[in-house]
Amino acid sequence: MTDEIGIGELAESFSEFLGTEWPREKAVAYARGSAVYAEDLWSQVAALGWTALTVPEAQAGLGMGLSATAALHDALGAAAAPLPMLGNTLAIALIEAAGTADQKEALLSGLADGSVRASFAHPDATILDADGSVLDGQVADMLDVASATHLFLRGTHAGKSVWIVLPTATSGVSIERTLLADASRTLGTVILSSVAISPEHLMTPEDAAALDDDLLRVAAVSLAADALGGGNATLAATVDYMKGREQFDRVIGSFQALKHRVADHKAALEAARGLVDHAASLDADAPSALLAALTAKQHVTRVVAEIARDCIQLHGGVGFTSEYVPHIYLKRAKLNEALFGTRSVVLDRIADILEAA
Amino acid sequence: MSRTYDILGKVGDEQAFRQEIREWLAECTPKNWRVKWQGVREEDLKSEIIAWLGERRKVGLGTPHWPKEWGGPGLPFTYQIMVYEELSRADAPELDMFTISLFHTPATLFEHGTQEQKDRYLHGITHGTDIWCQGFSEPGAGSDLASLRTSARREGDHYVLNGQKIWSSGAMNAQYCLLLARTDNSGKRKHDGISYFILDMKTPGVEVRPIRQITGESEFAEIFMDDVKVPVENLIGAEGNGWNIAQSTLSTERGLLIFGSVERLARSFELDGKDARDTWMRDVQFRREYAALYGELQSVRLMIRQLLIELEANPDKASPTLPTFIKLIWGPFLQRYTEFLLRAEGLETQKWQPAIPGTSNSSRLRFNDFLKSYGWTIAGGSNEIMRNIISERILGLPRG
Ligand SMILES: Cc1cc2nc3c(=O)[nH]c(=O)nc-3n(C[C@H](O)[C@H](O)[C@H](O)COP(=O)(O)OP(=O)(O)OC[C@H]3O[C@@H](n4cnc5c(N)ncnc54)[C@H](O)[C@@H]3O)c2cc1C
Repeated sequence: MTDEIGIGELAESFSEFLGTEWPREKAVAYARGSAVYAEDLWSQVAALGWTALTVPEAQAGLGMGLSATAALHDALGAAAAPLPMLGNTLAIALIEAAGTADQKEALLSGLADGSVRASFAHPDATILDADGSVLDGQVADMLDVASATHLFLRGTHAGKSVWIVLPTATSGVSIERTLLADASRTLGTVILSSVAISPEHLMTPEDAAALDDDLLRVAAVSLAADALGGGNATLAATVDYMKGREQFDRVIGSFQALKHRVADHKAALEAARGLVDHAASLDADAPSALLAALTAKQHVTRVVAEIARDCIQLHGGVGFTSEYVPHIYLKRAKLNEALFGTRSVVLDRIADILEAA
Repeated sequence: MSRTYDILGKVGDEQAFRQEIREWLAECTPKNWRVKWQGVREEDLKSEIIAWLGERRKVGLGTPHWPKEWGGPGLPFTYQIMVYEELSRADAPELDMFTISLFHTPATLFEHGTQEQKDRYLHGITHGTDIWCQGFSEPGAGSDLASLRTSARREGDHYVLNGQKIWSSGAMNAQYCLLLARTDNSGKRKHDGISYFILDMKTPGVEVRPIRQITGESEFAEIFMDDVKVPVENLIGAEGNGWNIAQSTLSTERGLLIFGSVERLARSFELDGKDARDTWMRDVQFRREYAALYGELQSVRLMIRQLLIELEANPDKASPTLPTFIKLIWGPFLQRYTEFLLRAEGLETQKWQPAIPGTSNSSRLRFNDFLKSYGWTIAGGSNEIMRNIISERILGLPRG
């Protein structure tokens, strides 16, 4: 299923399902509540195998690559689906690269069937000292931690960078949710006090820096894809609205000042799609894989955040209400822009890579 | 002593094909052409360009993107792309003055010309040095091209043309012009009654006056026609069908023509960053701006590649919308990038220098490249017209 037609069909099935199960009204209603994730929707998509896409076939997964991941995150972004998928995507990549056979056995099938939900430390999260037999400390801004069953934390052990994997139910672990503007995802602080750890909690990558880059690559492509889906969805909703709303005895979609703005947005999204598809199509070891991923991340999340910003304006007063959908996409777009490295950080990294070439 | 190169004989082996072009370019690209071409114009420049065209013909790459039926080498698309990539990479000069001859004329004649027209005029491009220009725009008909007023009146075995064209690129050097004129004023829509002619620029009554551009160059001109006789066999397609035929001419502006310019820019973009290693690349703001512009550049390159892949797979099924998106992204990006260089490189960029022909949008004379970028945002359907097309024909919004 890794050929292009396969990905196209996959993408279609994702958006078809979410279009029915998570229409705009649901996204709007969800944002007014305070749930930590859409639990029923999660069970449904897990049952459909969406959580198993990149899990190796040996562990009951589908063994697909980054193009499938991108298609999935594109669809989730388009629906603004409150599903903690990114943590799982990254956890699977990490375990495959650095997990022991036992860890693979213990975690991958749960990730595949959705019973494990991972919250994954971002690149500059606090690094915990894992040399002793207990863990103490705080890790702020863990994505989707409120709905997670497992934490993937950064640490050092015996002078090496390690990943620490802990079930959230471990004694001594507590979690404080941080409310976000974007209600479709959560952040939170993990507080660890005298949490007992042993070697089976640790993963020691051979080349930690290279693995960090690869995880960053997967996160960057996933976020860019999420942004792209959201951008297309909010533009489509806005063009629909412009075809129906009348002022001065004509639909507002006939005003050229507005038409030209949405035309620019449409063209920008078409250009953005190429960056996402290309970055997702490269093998992990392709020389420009990280550059392409970071480029997609910085460009697409920025472009979409601007489009989402304008879509509120194009709606007028209803755009300012929580009943209409554009604010959902704006908030999600702004979070995508900020996650896994603000734009400046990403641009600096891109410039470094360009200079080294 | 020059060895003989068999580039076309390497089709089937991509690596060997590329290698052969590289070796040929390393030996045969005119030496120091940038310096030389910067100092010559008109007939002298024309001789330089024709000499380079001659070199390209020796290896079968005079018209690399032409199919066999047009008298070209009939290269598969991937090989055409390689040719343009390598020409850009080696910074070989563009065949300025021949753009219309190489792209617009064949695209028009091949689809709509008679066998006689094809034989005669395409041969004049593949074997001769016929320079063509395009006479569409008029003082009163730019974006609203269909309102054109140049008239063509049938009189026996010829038409008599009267009127004025403007902004016709290369008209000073051209032998022939692809010309739109009105043969019928009674049509319901202004698009009706337009016919498409081949105008021999040496016909009595044709007068060409160069127009000085913002770059200081005079690459386009006005064409005045005063009772100009054009034989009926110079009509392309049926009388009154000119508007449809003109769409074929214009469609050519959005494929390989853009590809060559973009690849050339990708090369100069990289050099710009390298050359600025100790200057603006040490300034955190400019460095980030450069990294951001890299993303825009890549997005254009990827869209064009997508288009080429689709054209290769099936020209009739290629996305009809992609070229419009490409045009609307490429022009503004080019303008932003060339403007960025003015800011990053400061006062040095303000010092005037004559343009370098043959460099497309990558002369690396900063002010020239910046000014030239407007060609892509105004000509061939302005950005605003692209936005009308996208909002109305693609997004389905009503006409204003
Ligand atoms: C470098 C260069 C080379 C050229 N070469 C040739 C050539 O070889 N042959 C040839 O025939 N022509 C050529 N042109 C002419 C070119 O095609 C026209 O300039 C172009 O079509 C615009 O027409 P115009 O100049 O009359 O501008 P106008 O149509 O008067 O436009 C003025 C402004 O109004 C805007 N505008 C117009 N209509 C609308 C609308 N409906 N909605 C919103 N905005 C609108 C335009 O976008 C523009 O910003 C060339 C132009 C340039 C700059």
